[in-house]
Amino acid sequence: METSTILHNFILDELVKGRKKTIGDDDDLLAEGIIDSLGILQLVAFIEEKFNFTVPDEDVVIENFMSVNALSKYLDQKLATKH
Amino acid sequence: MSYRYLLHTAIYENALVNPTHPAIRFQKEEFTYGKLAKASNQLANFLINLGVKRGDRVGIYMNKNIYSAVAIYGILSAGAAYVPLDPFAPIDRLSFVINDCQIHFLITNEAKKDNLKEIIHKTALDGFIGIQSNSSLPIPSYSWDQIFQFSSSQPSIQLVEQDLAYILYTSGSTGTPKGIMHTHRSGLSFAEWAVQTYQITSSDRISNHAPLHFDLSTFDFFASAIAGATTVIVPEGITKLPASMARWIQDEKITIWYSVPFALIQMLERGGLESKDFSNLRWVLFAGEPFPTKHLRNLMKTLPKARFSNLYGPTETNVCTYYHVAPLSEDTDEPIPIGIVCENTEALVVDAEGIPLPDGQIGELLIRGGTVMKGYWGRPDLTDKGFFRRSMFGYCEDIFYRTGDLVQKMPDGNYKFWGRKDRQIKTRGYRVELDEVEAALLSHPAVHEAAAYPVPDVEGSHLIEAAIILVQGGNLSEDDLIKHLSGRLPNYAIPAKIIISDDFPRTSTGKINRRELQEKAIKNT
Repeated sequence: METSTILHNFILDELVKGRKKTIGDDDDLLAEGIIDSLGILQLVAFIEEKFNFTVPDEDVVIENFMSVNALSKYLDQKLATKH
Repeated sequence: MSYRYLLHTAIYENALVNPTHPAIRFQKEEFTYGKLAKASNQLANFLINLGVKRGDRVGIYMNKNIYSAVAIYGILSAGAAYVPLDPFAPIDRLSFVINDCQIHFLITNEAKKDNLKEIIHKTALDGFIGIQSNSSLPIPSYSWDQIFQFSSSQPSIQLVEQDLAYILYTSGSTGTPKGIMHTHRSGLSFAEWAVQTYQITSSDRISNHAPLHFDLSTFDFFASAIAGATTVIVPEGITKLPASMARWIQDEKITIWYSVPFALIQMLERGGLESKDFSNLRWVLFAGEPFPTKHLRNLMKTLPKARFSNLYGPTETNVCTYYHVAPLSEDTDEPIPIGIVCENTEALVVDAEGIPLPDGQIGELLIRGGTVMKGYWGRPDLTDKGFFRRSMFGYCEDIFYRTGDLVQKMPDGNYKFWGRKDRQIKTRGYRVELDEVEAALLSHPAVHEAAAYPVPDVEGSHLIEAAIILVQGGNLSEDDLIKHLSGRLPNYAIPAKIIISDDFPRTSTGKINRRELQEKAIKNT
């Protein structure tokens, strides 16, 4: 599965939990309250487990976590340098 | 200082004496006092033209942005009261509030558009302000462009300080939101006290972290305006990202920060504070719930140049005590006191019958003074219950607000917080303070956060359950923790079950949602 699909599914199933039916890849996840501060921690934990690498605190910033697109771009970059 | 009796006067004074000084900032946008005063008057004149009258309620329903300030001051300048709605609340709750205090107009923004149709359906709204007119909505919308065609001269509406300024809705204990009414006087009494106490000047840059429906925001806006300082709104997205928030404080050169402890603890844990330049930050203020001492000590060590102050008070009274935190000793996690009583406030500690107790005894805190609310909107029964009438000096009667909080006056004049009256439960006949259970849980070094709550048992009494979050990388078994607790709590106060979780449900203001934890626990039994 593509990174963005994995993220998309996790956010929709585990974090949004029916409050919204769809989310766009460019939707602002944070400003729109789609994810709250606990959701961020869950998302970080999910990424760390699923992709098997540690997200440093200084990477948990708005540029990387603002949308599904931003996050998959960040992850793809990180994973590319790891392999 | 001139005599002020209305909350919005300060922005117009600043617009005269310091028109080019920044009043409000949000992301890259900035409104000077001149521009804020002009826009607020235009909104006020527009509202009056729509038919809004003195004493009416106008809702604010949007993600915070630079127009939040225009909305607040425009509504006040029209002689109305503003009612901030939680932008992320479920529609049913929003509709309840709109219907409860009969709001006819909502100031909103494009981001909230998807929800508006459903809201119209459940309320008697007459129009939306702040969005482009929209044929898909059955009621009119008015854009800011339309509003800014109106006159920018200050409307002449005669108000007195007892007029309603804002209503803040909080969850009632029964689950129905209660509207706490504040007047220009109760808002000003607090804001002017705060300016004095924290020596706020026009060179201060005050962050606004709290949502508008949370009373902390009245400090951020009104104390700042009175001092002619700048309010800098934290963008919603950043509030969830500790590292971004820490960088934001640095880049925006914030001098006064005010939030719930949770936001600060997050920054301490994951914000990378050591590498940030916080040299402008002179005050770190916090309120809303107790700040666990071990986290506070670490935060103070990380930010040695800032001063720290704890503010205490229910939304009904604004702030009534404060404590400038003295250096914290390494060898105790004893909670800090809630502090001394504000200079403009009178406190009484009473027993269950309302009889004042001698200093040193634990009882309910009652508060009298100009910062106390007018009452609960549309609920004279609750207002009556919340106020305690007492004869003063033998010749008149006055009201005290019953905080429902248990406190103890210490010999040095500081008050110690003992928890909520309603957080005191009976288990197997013993009286237990749930806050004390939480404090004992938190005293374990591996425990990051803790919540204790009662769960009814088959015998009609209560068992105590608790949920904890471990510190990052922490490791702890329930057995070890219980061993730790047994040295600190009587046996009957040790939780029957302790759940280790990754996270807690939280209220929209960032506090631990103990009710949700409790409901979950009841469902599981």
